[in-house]
Amino acid sequence: MTTLAIFSNKGGVGKTAAAVNLSYLAARAGAKTLICDLDPQGSATYYFRVKPKLKSGPKGFVKGAKGVYKSVKGTDFDNLDILPADFSLRKLDILYSKFGNSKKQLKLMLYPFACEYRLIILDCPVTIGILAENILTAADYILVPMIPTTLSVRTFNQLLAFAKKKRYDAAKIYPFFSMVDRHKKMHRELMLNVLKGFRRVLPSFIPYLAQIEKMGIHRAPVPAFAPKSVASKSYQNLWDKVEHNILSSHG
Amino acid sequence: MIQNLKFHLPDDHDEKQFIRQLADQYVIKKAPAVADKIAFYDTFDWRLFQKSLVLYSSDNRLYLRKLSKNEPLESIEFSKAPVFIWDFVDSHLKTKLAPIIKMRALLKLVEVSSRTTPYRILDAAEKTVARLVYEALYLPRKGSTPALANHLWLKPVRGYPKYARQLAKSIKAAGLTVSTEKELLIKALASAGKQPGSYSAKVNIQLDPAMRSDQAAKEVLHFLLDVMRTNEAIFDKDLDTEVLHDFRVAIRRTRSALAQIKNVFPARTTNRFKKDFKYVGQLSNALRDLDVYLLSQDAYKTMLPHDLRDDIDPLFRHLHQKRTKAFQQVRRGLKTKKYAKIIKDWEAFLNQPPPDSAAVENATLPVVVLARQRIYKRYRAIVKTGNKILANTEDEMLHALRIECKKLRYLMEFFATLFPRKKINVLIGQLKKLQDNLGDFNDLCVQQDYLLDISTELPADQENIKRALVAIGSLVQTLNHNKQSVKKAFASIFTQFAAPENQQLFKELFSPKARKSNS
Repeated sequence: MTTLAIFSNKGGVGKTAAAVNLSYLAARAGAKTLICDLDPQGSATYYFRVKPKLKSGPKGFVKGAKGVYKSVKGTDFDNLDILPADFSLRKLDILYSKFGNSKKQLKLMLYPFACEYRLIILDCPVTIGILAENILTAADYILVPMIPTTLSVRTFNQLLAFAKKKRYDAAKIYPFFSMVDRHKKMHRELMLNVLKGFRRVLPSFIPYLAQIEKMGIHRAPVPAFAPKSVASKSYQNLWDKVEHNILSSHG
Repeated sequence: MIQNLKFHLPDDHDEKQFIRQLADQYVIKKAPAVADKIAFYDTFDWRLFQKSLVLYSSDNRLYLRKLSKNEPLESIEFSKAPVFIWDFVDSHLKTKLAPIIKMRALLKLVEVSSRTTPYRILDAAEKTVARLVYEALYLPRKGSTPALANHLWLKPVRGYPKYARQLAKSIKAAGLTVSTEKELLIKALASAGKQPGSYSAKVNIQLDPAMRSDQAAKEVLHFLLDVMRTNEAIFDKDLDTEVLHDFRVAIRRTRSALAQIKNVFPARTTNRFKKDFKYVGQLSNALRDLDVYLLSQDAYKTMLPHDLRDDIDPLFRHLHQKRTKAFQQVRRGLKTKKYAKIIKDWEAFLNQPPPDSAAVENATLPVVVLARQRIYKRYRAIVKTGNKILANTEDEMLHALRIECKKLRYLMEFFATLFPRKKINVLIGQLKKLQDNLGDFNDLCVQQDYLLDISTELPADQENIKRALVAIGSLVQTLNHNKQSVKKAFASIFTQFAAPENQQLFKELFSPKARKSNS
């Protein structure tokens, strides 16, 4: 089992869209996949038309996966299941901080899923506290969507600094460009700079496209309702890079 | 988790009406019907079927599942049907298949046409909460063919068990029953006139201990003749290297049986066919050698330092060219009158009824007695030779021991059914370990010589050939190094094989003296 977190400490950068589309593509390529919607807003859950309700409530996230296991729902697509969000997940940070092994709770919770799923994708809320540390512990790789703007790059550097300070392996963090407007000169220049300065940037990007926003209307991953669109191809390209540059080269 | 349920459809089932009925209770969305072809694959010797696995393609995906199970274990996308394991993209499917099919080609066994009409059951948020799928399967033939099967599938969606339970109830209430049909593959094969597992090169001959030895020998030889013929018949297709290999092993076993099952046929007959099959075997020696080198291409490359790996390619190109020629040569050889006559005479001989009064010594002996004699004698000879080698390890003696082991192995396999299965399998397993060691040693010796010989065939004046020669030199060095370590391993492997417990077991099963004192 590989756990892939789509994480950013900045909001509105295309985390959920990436998580939903990548998990769909992974499942379609044959990997039994579970997407975990950790965001109390439950957008990924909404996209898959599932009720944002955990039978166990947030307690299932600390007591071991028994309760959580029952909450898993099949999506409309083969090979792809979802652990839906629940509004109560907003308390996850506080809940985790109460436990002794506070940074390993998420990893422990996911452990029983290992035999069933080949890939777990975590759709993470914006956070930089204990939940972030749980994610850094649980995930084998962390994909960070990054809009090519100064602020976005700055927050990414903050994340790296945080990881280093807390002694997490920063080598498992891979940024990729998201919501790119190639007509903007600033976007282009910033991308070049980041590509020069940071070698783990995935050589693929997701443009800013209306088709992606339409996910909310269709309530489905882009490749499912617009398979031939540019948006669909961009996600396919990103998934290929994730598979090739990260998953297969690290085993 | 709830499993998919498969319902049998009676001939008078009305799909439209049934769905209309269900629509009173559920929101149902019909998807367009899909016509598809399901193709099943296996190797010529049914390696997947022997492991209870089914490999099939449907809708641009390749699936692997257990026999009689519906859920696939693995699947991958594919555009062109892979034939050899090295054609597969790296995937879990490949990892699972590799140790089973090894170097054998996958053949399309049978193709089934399917027509499926999926219906999705939706909840208030238009989320799919269960699926109903009508499926009709038939063999693609011209004209109207009766369907192989007509089914209704109920496919639950995880997390929505209530819907599945209710639907199952409604379906049963409409008079449909859960299908208990056997595996589709077997049904499809039967309709196509094929029988799974019908060919295996593994010797498996049921013998009766009291049988006359000449008759038993003929049974063994007949089995081997069948293997020869089966493979000869498909030789022209050049499916994979193992067709020739199985063919050759059957010849080798035939020769060994003629020599080892002593004095059951008149000496003239035995001598004639020994000579004949020696000839038949020799026809393909060169081709088999080339196959072996080409199969080990990757292994050779990994033995080389990184920067020399591509340098050796001219060698393999050369071998490829040679193989094309060698293949045609064998093909012609198998079409000669001489070959046809050998096989015809041999079959005629095997089909002759046994003579009433046996002119040869062992012909009427119960086969179990002869089997014991022969096996025990061979075993003792091996222990003796092996012990000599322990004192003084010479290459030639290892070679001789390898041949002796092969003779013993064949005898044990021919007569395996005459002895307790577990015990003889343990002994065969032990023998196999020793054979592997000796075989490796022999292969390394032969390969070294071959590579040195073949390097003289390459035109040494070209720059890339010069580099190839350097790579070959490096390879020979590695092979030599490996040879020494294999040789070193011999002592401990042989000591295990000749351990007192093993000797005791051989004695118990095969020694004529031990049998007498026991009874």
